[in-house]
Amino acid sequence: MTDATAHTTPEPGRKSSILTVDAQTAKRHAAEGRFKIYGIIAIGIGLFFLAALLIAIVSNGTRAFTQTRVVLEIPLVPAEIEAAEGSIVKTAKYNDLVGLALTRALSDAGIETEMEPKELLKMLSGSAGANFRNFVLENPEEIGGSRSFEFLASSRVDGYLKGRVTREALVDDNNLDAAHLDLVDQMREVGLVDRSFNWDFIFGADASESRPEAAGIGVSMLGSFFMMLVVLAFALPIGIAASIYLEEFAPQNRFTDLIEVNIANLAAVPSIVFGILGLAVFIQLMHLPQSAPLVGGLTLTLMTLPTIVISTRASLKSVPPSIRDAALGVGASKMQAVFHHVLPLAMPGILTGTIIGLAQALGETAPLLLIGMVGFIASNPPDGLASGFLDPNSAMPAQIYEWAKRADPAYYERAWGGIIILLLFLMTMNIIAILLRRKFERRW
Amino acid sequence: MNDMRLIERAVDMDDIKISARDVQVYYGDNHAIKDVNVDIQDKTVTAFIGPSGCGKSTFLRCLNRMNDTIDICRVEGDIHLDGEDINDKRVDPVQLRAKVGMVFQKPNPFPKSIYDNVAYGPKIHGMAKNKAELDEIVERALRRGAIWDEVKDRLDAPGTGLSGGQQQRLCIARAVATEPEVLLMDEPCSALDPIATAQVEELIDELRQNYSVVIVTHSMQQAARVSQKTAFFHLGNLVEYDETGKIFTNPEDERTESYITGRIG
Repeated sequence: MTDATAHTTPEPGRKSSILTVDAQTAKRHAAEGRFKIYGIIAIGIGLFFLAALLIAIVSNGTRAFTQTRVVLEIPLVPAEIEAAEGSIVKTAKYNDLVGLALTRALSDAGIETEMEPKELLKMLSGSAGANFRNFVLENPEEIGGSRSFEFLASSRVDGYLKGRVTREALVDDNNLDAAHLDLVDQMREVGLVDRSFNWDFIFGADASESRPEAAGIGVSMLGSFFMMLVVLAFALPIGIAASIYLEEFAPQNRFTDLIEVNIANLAAVPSIVFGILGLAVFIQLMHLPQSAPLVGGLTLTLMTLPTIVISTRASLKSVPPSIRDAALGVGASKMQAVFHHVLPLAMPGILTGTIIGLAQALGETAPLLLIGMVGFIASNPPDGLASGFLDPNSAMPAQIYEWAKRADPAYYERAWGGIIILLLFLMTMNIIAILLRRKFERRW
Repeated sequence: MNDMRLIERAVDMDDIKISARDVQVYYGDNHAIKDVNVDIQDKTVTAFIGPSGCGKSTFLRCLNRMNDTIDICRVEGDIHLDGEDINDKRVDPVQLRAKVGMVFQKPNPFPKSIYDNVAYGPKIHGMAKNKAELDEIVERALRRGAIWDEVKDRLDAPGTGLSGGQQQRLCIARAVATEPEVLLMDEPCSALDPIATAQVEELIDELRQNYSVVIVTHSMQQAARVSQKTAFFHLGNLVEYDETGKIFTNPEDERTESYITGRIG
């Protein structure tokens, strides 16, 4: 090592050697190292919460996508159906028929029980009788034969099979006893109970508080879809026209400065303020129908406009001025320069901003609370375009909020499931935005 | 290229294409151009030289009213093109710019195909009735831009994919496609290498047959090589304007001499 030391010793007359690290440099390196650690910690915290979110969503939400059904063979005896139709409480009579069929099915399968048919019916969703009646009314030609039905199991039976409902929890429950659960176990062994993918959750309508097993997000999904159509139809042209005018044509004066400051501020206005604005203008002043996706869409348009204007102006600004000069230089008018050259080049940025604005609007709940798009709206899927825009409906985030509010834990599960669907939509939109940006990457 | 047989390039045409009288330009409070008087001749290359910030590009942009696009810029004085005031209220700058074309410092082709770059001007001015006529105009412009042979097989390729020198010649072709009468060039070679510069200079000399060319340049050699008349700008003033040979061999003003000999600038 003597050689090495000989080399590292500074020659006389030289103030320092670059082979040794001086105190100040060491200090700066330490600061850099510390900063890197802070960054890694920050990212670590972010990733931890992201992972927690994903785990919570998947573990709670995926259960909403399967549903337990009870398979029953019911003979359509003409005399019984006639009697039921002649009764005042028709659905109740049909319920009795289902209860009898269930008792029969149990004894056929060799399962012994002392429960009355009424008690047994608690294992099925309250809608079983109505579903049976609907089938009979729609298919009168089937009367006299026999048919296999798949009735929704009640939310507690469903929850028991999913592990959500335990025997201990049923002690205080008036709806179901441990005896029912024993029956369910036996029924599962003989194939009377079947758990399958829950298409009704994705395509169905909301249901009343007591029947969470029948609730679906499909109708509010349509509500969201019609609202997005409204937002797209209004926010895109208004936003782009405003941005082009402000960016390319407007004179620079105090008035346009004021408008600019206001647009920047509008983007930060709480969304509930837009909700009350929508209520005041669209419902109280213009008398548009309450709870309608048209009104929701218009309100969300107000909210989305600043986002679209800001991103559009940013992408117009990013088009190099040399392109405008080139167009003006060959004798294009200002409008030709903008529409032939600047706008096409700014389009990917504009579309990305629009999609992000739409995604924001899709996930927005607060303004919808004020215009009545939240709450139990057990409507059927809208019947045609006009009905889609004008009939009361809900939206996905409002529906999720509504479910999370309800007491039954089965609704809690639905809320998580709804969040999965909402996030899938948002993810799809963001992926489209990224793809658009990639595809039309700056070409100069 | 470097032999300066300047005296031989006598200018024998006296048609005045553009005449400017008492032109003042203000950028906000800054008086950028002061009392400029100049007569630019037809079928002649006129060079504007001078140190950076002397106002030569600003004055050039007055000639086709490109300064209109800058909000804080104000132009006063008379500029006449063929005896007509270009700042007259009745003049549409769009029509003016079709007559007075411009080539910029940095090559700025549209991010479109080579064909579309050249065809754009003729299209918006309605110069072609059909595709065949447009093809012809594009070919003629590209030939005049001395780039036809290099791009004739790939007219659909993007103009931005060409080399810097090719891009600039494409921009020149684009400018001549609208059949302008005057061609303004704002330091057209400053972003080009010496070979591309030589090609563009050769082209400028050819363009003189049909157009009045005004070129702003930082390179005095270039001014000496391509121009017949030279104007020297300094601090917003037009110091001296004369035949190129005279400016470079026997300038009258002391400042001109200092500049061309490299003492100021």
